[in-house]
Amino acid sequence: MTGVISTLVEAWQELRINKVRILLALMGVALSVAALTSVVGVGNLAREGYKVQSERNGGRVATLALSINGPTPPDPAKIEKVYQGIQQRYGITTSTHMGQTQAGFQFPRGVTPVSMTIVDIGYGTIHRVPLLQGSWFAADDGQRLAPAVVVSEAFYNQAGRPNLTTHPTVTISGDQPATAVIIGVVPDVYPDMPPAAFILTEGAAMTGMQPQMSEFKLWVGEEQADALTAAITADLQGQFPGYYAQANRVDYAAWGDPLAPVQLVVGGVAGLVLLLGAVGMLNISMVTVRYRVREIGIRRSFGATSGRIFVGVMMESVVATAVAGIAGVMLAVAVVKHPWIESKVAPGLTEYPAFPIDAALLGFGAAVLVGALAGAIPALVAVRVKVIDAIRF
Amino acid sequence: MDQLKETLVSLRSVTRSVTLPDEQQLHILKGIDLEVHSGDHTAIVGRSGCGKSTLLNLLGLLDVPTSGELEFLGQPADRLGNNARARLRGSTVGFVFQQFNLLPGRTALDNVITPLFYANGREFWRRRELAMDMLDRVGLAARANTMPNMLSGGEQQRVAIARALVRRPRLILADEPTGALDVETGQSVMALLDTVATETAAALVTITHDTNVVALARACYRLDAGVLSPLTLAEAGVSA
Repeated sequence: MTGVISTLVEAWQELRINKVRILLALMGVALSVAALTSVVGVGNLAREGYKVQSERNGGRVATLALSINGPTPPDPAKIEKVYQGIQQRYGITTSTHMGQTQAGFQFPRGVTPVSMTIVDIGYGTIHRVPLLQGSWFAADDGQRLAPAVVVSEAFYNQAGRPNLTTHPTVTISGDQPATAVIIGVVPDVYPDMPPAAFILTEGAAMTGMQPQMSEFKLWVGEEQADALTAAITADLQGQFPGYYAQANRVDYAAWGDPLAPVQLVVGGVAGLVLLLGAVGMLNISMVTVRYRVREIGIRRSFGATSGRIFVGVMMESVVATAVAGIAGVMLAVAVVKHPWIESKVAPGLTEYPAFPIDAALLGFGAAVLVGALAGAIPALVAVRVKVIDAIRF
Repeated sequence: MDQLKETLVSLRSVTRSVTLPDEQQLHILKGIDLEVHSGDHTAIVGRSGCGKSTLLNLLGLLDVPTSGELEFLGQPADRLGNNARARLRGSTVGFVFQQFNLLPGRTALDNVITPLFYANGREFWRRRELAMDMLDRVGLAARANTMPNMLSGGEQQRVAIARALVRRPRLILADEPTGALDVETGQSVMALLDTVATETAAALVTITHDTNVVALARACYRLDAGVLSPLTLAEAGVSA
């Protein structure tokens, strides 16, 4: 026990005495660790941003879209019955219809065509719909006499940005003019996007909106996705003979992780950065050991065993790089969590994830590993020093 | 009295050779017979390059003989591994070098503490106290926190002596300890080394060219071309 403590105390004393030299050597390691950790951290942030953006477009992992096509349009009532049956049979709780149409809305500057998406409540969950104000549809919104709409920011601006707590209304013009209540605002998908809005299936039916194309989406567990895809496809084909009926995965991860190759390249670059830091550290350690040959000889003359010299030289390196690792990780956290970086790397996110703990551990672990490797070679050189020659060095 | 005189190191027919780059053998020491007992104060004189330092390295377990028998505290040195020799050296031998060999960048106190890093638990945990006691003993307690480059040559050698003695070695090996000092300072340093060695009943083996150092020894040897032979103090140039 005393041997371990005395080795650590000795290593710490060496660090204290040679602090300027070691500080210079460690700057390279700290920056390398910061680079490695930042790359992994930014990579995770970008991945999260991409994932959220992709899930907003295609649905969460795993989303199945059901489609039935044939020579004649299938009976909508039968389709609806089959959809309900599939949900009950497989215990699927989150689903949505999704149809597109256009409707004219009366704004202060006149009637403007608005791109309408006809959905069920489950759409908000499946597509991770972000809200700038207000709320997504609730269960009783389908019963409203004046249908609820969740509008885009462009729509909201054209409507004069009314206070949502006052339950502002807008008029849907057309053959059956109707009044709708704005309950929520979502961000525009891209700059200068035309006004758009979501309306529940019940609300659309009430106002006479007919979707030009429609599909049905189910959110299922990723592990069951393949089995359910096959089972539901078989069900649909059984129910609609002569039709091309099938279930397909439409989420971004349907064909594997699209970010894996990017992550591999980024990881390789980060590893290369760390390797350069390690080589710098090794270089300085080697020079230092040569400079310390006499000191090592003197220590040997006082009874330091070769094992003790080996561990001592290596511990100096490990203790130092561990400190550098902590500094590097802190720097990386400061960089990755900077609001400007976050907004540029993951513009689609409204809430940014915490700094990934695995990136911090990877950076710290890499620093200690670099210390051990960069310390081991000089330590071997130190052990091979001949005491007599070293003292006369 | 003889019962107290334990044999610390015993050399019988010891030789030491090295192989030169041209594959020739250089015989540095030839058939050395020597015994060092506790309390001995021995001086070894000889010209430069005659093998004095090599002999000192063998006595201090820094090197092993090419042939012959070397026993340290009754244990054959050639049967001890490197680590066992290092531990035995640390606990039993104290070195004083001609060039002091203080560790740069460390205070006098830190230098004296250094050997205690390799000591057992009790000595390690009391390292600061033991080192301060030893610095006090060599008259440098007031300069404990001074860097070596701020000390005079004599003071540096006294720090080196404190460092050599801090683990209470039974054998002190001094390699031309006054070689880098003026005559007066050298005499005071040797007097200190002789006094402390006597107080602790340690054996002191000194390699020197200095007749003043020889004068403090109780026994003297000449090493000439690798051959060790006894020398009277008169032969060594010391007046009675």
